[in-house]
Amino acid sequence: MYHVSKSYMAGQYALHDVSLDVSRGEFLFLTGASGAGKTTLLELIFAAKVPSEGQILVLGRNVARLGAGAIPALRRRVGVVFQDFKLLQERTVEENVRLALDVVGTPRREARSRVFAMLKSVGLQHRRFHHPLSLSGGEQQRVALARALVNEPEILLADEPTGNLDPELTIEIMDLIVKASTRGTTVIVATHDHSLIERYGKRVLRLDAGRIAEDVPSAVPSTGAVS
Amino acid sequence: MLILIAFANSLRGIRNAATTSSMAILTIAIVLVLVGAASLLVENMAGVLEEFGAELRLTAYLDDTVSPEDQRHLAQTVAAAPGVDRVEFISKKEALLRFERIAGGDELLAGLDENPLPASLEIHLRPEARTAEGIAILDASLDGLPGIDELAHGQEWIEGYARAVALARTAAGTITIVLGLAALLIVANTIRLALYARRDELEILALVGASRTFVRVPFMLEGAIQGLLGGLIALLVVFGAFELVLPQVRTGLELVVGRADLRFFSMAESIRLVLSGAGLGLLGSITALVGGRTA
Repeated sequence: MYHVSKSYMAGQYALHDVSLDVSRGEFLFLTGASGAGKTTLLELIFAAKVPSEGQILVLGRNVARLGAGAIPALRRRVGVVFQDFKLLQERTVEENVRLALDVVGTPRREARSRVFAMLKSVGLQHRRFHHPLSLSGGEQQRVALARALVNEPEILLADEPTGNLDPELTIEIMDLIVKASTRGTTVIVATHDHSLIERYGKRVLRLDAGRIAEDVPSAVPSTGAVS
Repeated sequence: MLILIAFANSLRGIRNAATTSSMAILTIAIVLVLVGAASLLVENMAGVLEEFGAELRLTAYLDDTVSPEDQRHLAQTVAAAPGVDRVEFISKKEALLRFERIAGGDELLAGLDENPLPASLEIHLRPEARTAEGIAILDASLDGLPGIDELAHGQEWIEGYARAVALARTAAGTITIVLGLAALLIVANTIRLALYARRDELEILALVGASRTFVRVPFMLEGAIQGLLGGLIALLVVFGAFELVLPQVRTGLELVVGRADLRFFSMAESIRLVLSGAGLGLLGSITALVGGRTA
């Protein structure tokens, strides 16, 4: 990300002159007060928004110049998890997770077995025919995480993934995210939960009013980091 | 694989948005009932008019001095003229019998020594010649033929007949276009509402990398399926109405137009009505998708 700015109104920046380099396989916590620009930064990475200035290279593609037709291909390589889970209530857990495989035309039989394996890894295989509303918040977030990871994305973005969960479930979800990172997935987690940041000792980027205020390197060596 | 997923998604969409889908199906059904009933009415009107047209003929009254052999030659010459389908020879005797049949007896001609009615040729026209222009061409080609005393053709009646057929067809076309456009707008709006109701689903599909085609095809299929169902309902309603109404109006029709053997749509026309519903639904979906934002 090179000298990236995003403004919604003239002179008012959600992000201002942000330059950032995240290596392949790296784990990064993005922190800062509400309105600091965490969500905007994530949205720029998965091409939900276009930067007002600067260039963003994601998986070798310049997102700032990506045509509308090329966005789906990028998003299939980037898993995204949100605080509000974004699950389809009228579909079962299995169908929600399978969505990420359906869009790339994975044959039904193969999709089913991959979804089962993914749900098993998040401990929800026994709930695959349930609907999201019958699950707890932690379980719903695990479904969302399974959907984000089932396609084996190279990047996982999580926007306040534990914001709606109690401390016990928070650790449960974060452990799953860290586990994905150990398999070589680049992970960026936006959070304002300092206890989490301290617990995992990963690299921390603190934003303040749209600018990088602090970039603290990881206290533990990153697994599989490739520049 | 993707088309199967799209089909499953469109069926799911119809099931999940049952109220909106029912509205779209009913809208298409109502419009197609109106269009179907109008075109059925016009087609039957045109059929009646065409039957009138089949009875349309010109009469060439022959000179009394023409010999029977010359009459035969004259009939052959007229039969070869442009626009003529067939020629029927009516002798003086037959003309008298016809007159008596119409007049209800021979009192009117009782005082006369001889039959005053001339022999004639009744000229039946081909369908394409049943126009003012066709009559004029035939008139010109028969003009001056020796043995023909007078040519009676009722030009005004022919023009009126041609106008009536054209008017009926234009009315059917206009009704179809106006109602079709109205239906298209209503269906497009209904689908747009369905898109709005499912904006969360569209957002999530976009997040997981669904292409525009993946998002749009189920909606297009959904529109087509709704249209197909609407078309089927319309066909059943029009058929039911036809079967119920026909016995009530049969006597009146026989009195007015002399016949009441009205026909329902043929199999091909019925299929066309149902498929036009599918087309309408598909077009409505495309209009809504082009107008709205998907993925």
